[in-house]
Amino acid sequence: MATVWRSQCAFARLLIGKIAQNPNNSPDLCTKLFQGPISVTSRNYSNYANSPFIERIKEQYEYDIIKNPPEWAYVERLLPFDTIPVVTPKENYPSGWIPPREEAVHLPYFVSRTKNHELPIYLNITYRGMRKITKIKKIEGDIWLLNDTLKAHLKETAGKYVETRVHELGKFIEVKGDYVNVIRNWAHSKGF
Amino acid sequence: MGSRQITEKSLSILRSLPRISVGNIRDNPGSKVTQKRGRGQHGGDKHGAGNKGSGQRQNYMRLGYETGNNPFYLRMPQEPYYRGHHHRREYPPLSLLQLQSLIDTDRIDVSLPVDLASIIKSGLYNFYPEQKQFGINLTDEGADIFAAKINIEVQWASEQVIAAVERNGGVITTAYYDPHSLFLLKNPKHFFKTGAAIPRRMIPPPDVIEYYTSAETRGYLADPEKISQERLKLSQKYGYELPQVENDSFYEMLCERKDPRQIFYGLEPGWVVNLKDKCILKPTDKELLRFYSS
Repeated sequence: MATVWRSQCAFARLLIGKIAQNPNNSPDLCTKLFQGPISVTSRNYSNYANSPFIERIKEQYEYDIIKNPPEWAYVERLLPFDTIPVVTPKENYPSGWIPPREEAVHLPYFVSRTKNHELPIYLNITYRGMRKITKIKKIEGDIWLLNDTLKAHLKETAGKYVETRVHELGKFIEVKGDYVNVIRNWAHSKGF
Repeated sequence: MGSRQITEKSLSILRSLPRISVGNIRDNPGSKVTQKRGRGQHGGDKHGAGNKGSGQRQNYMRLGYETGNNPFYLRMPQEPYYRGHHHRREYPPLSLLQLQSLIDTDRIDVSLPVDLASIIKSGLYNFYPEQKQFGINLTDEGADIFAAKINIEVQWASEQVIAAVERNGGVITTAYYDPHSLFLLKNPKHFFKTGAAIPRRMIPPPDVIEYYTSAETRGYLADPEKISQERLKLSQKYGYELPQVENDSFYEMLCERKDPRQIFYGLEPGWVVNLKDKCILKPTDKELLRFYSS
């Protein structure tokens, strides 16, 4: 029969829930360790300051506690954004970013911007670069009308028939080939 | 208990239960059967491991081992310039074009001095101090279109970048941060929540002391007078008229710099920031003051 490795205070270890307190996992050590009251609160050893090698120094230093200090503005500017900031209208955008225009709302179809204020037009490259598919996402309204106008525009600019695939439920259109820049320019011209 | 009671009871339970969602449904019991490895004469075949060799015995060889051949990775003569590459400091790039688009989409407030913390705060720049990354290398892509007047502090910058920033009336400083301070700059809120005192910034290691003390690279330890001379020199080299910082409406913002021991703008080492009570604890103990000022 196998011997059962159990100490007198078998439940103490369960209560603590940390084997790290009893490094050798031995029953004798266990009994010696828990002479005092058993603390149930867990300790976070993930940082060195909380590790058992560090003892808290009880020495108290003198501090000035300043409520609503003038330096609080410096703290606030370090704190992260609650939400992604809304872009304030500017005279020009040197980086080439173009804001969406009001008139686009009146079209029978609409392509909304992503949360980062960019156009949802992506290039998916598969089969080791053999297949390139341009994907336009977040299409609302008449997706079939958008498909027709986009197809006509692509035939005009590319000079050849361009295959597309419409996913009505998923609100996206896939265009066969790399037409990201063409479609981006087209979307900007429409005001999306 | 009759069936009516059961129905009413289950309806009342349903009313108090949360709505069915992906989080609280599961498959019908017995609908999924886990495939087990077959045994014996009819089921016990190869189980996808193939016949003979490494595949069957599943003793996969170490990466690059070619069963006794001179391995590919050892076949070339050595490349000594890669020696110790995993110990070197890394400065991940951020181009001026990227910086301009962050400014255009209001991710960075130009009316305040820009440092590593505000660029990381934008949420569009990944930065990992644990991977030996020591800060931003501002690169010159988009130097021609860059049109923002900023007071920026980066960790590495080329001459073209310095010229592009100063041409628009801005100010650029290169500053060193030790890894501990970089962690604080990456997530200041997380650090303030720990309730620890803001530490001192360490001085740069010997091999970059020269970079951070020279005025040509706008080092944070350089002499300010020499820097203003170098600003003029660079404007003559690249052929632009240097805008006067003194006459600028943002003069105070453009002149704001950190102390070599300071990690955050406006917050001194030794202070404890309490986010909950909105108060700052400043040490008055002489011993502490001496420690944090040294």
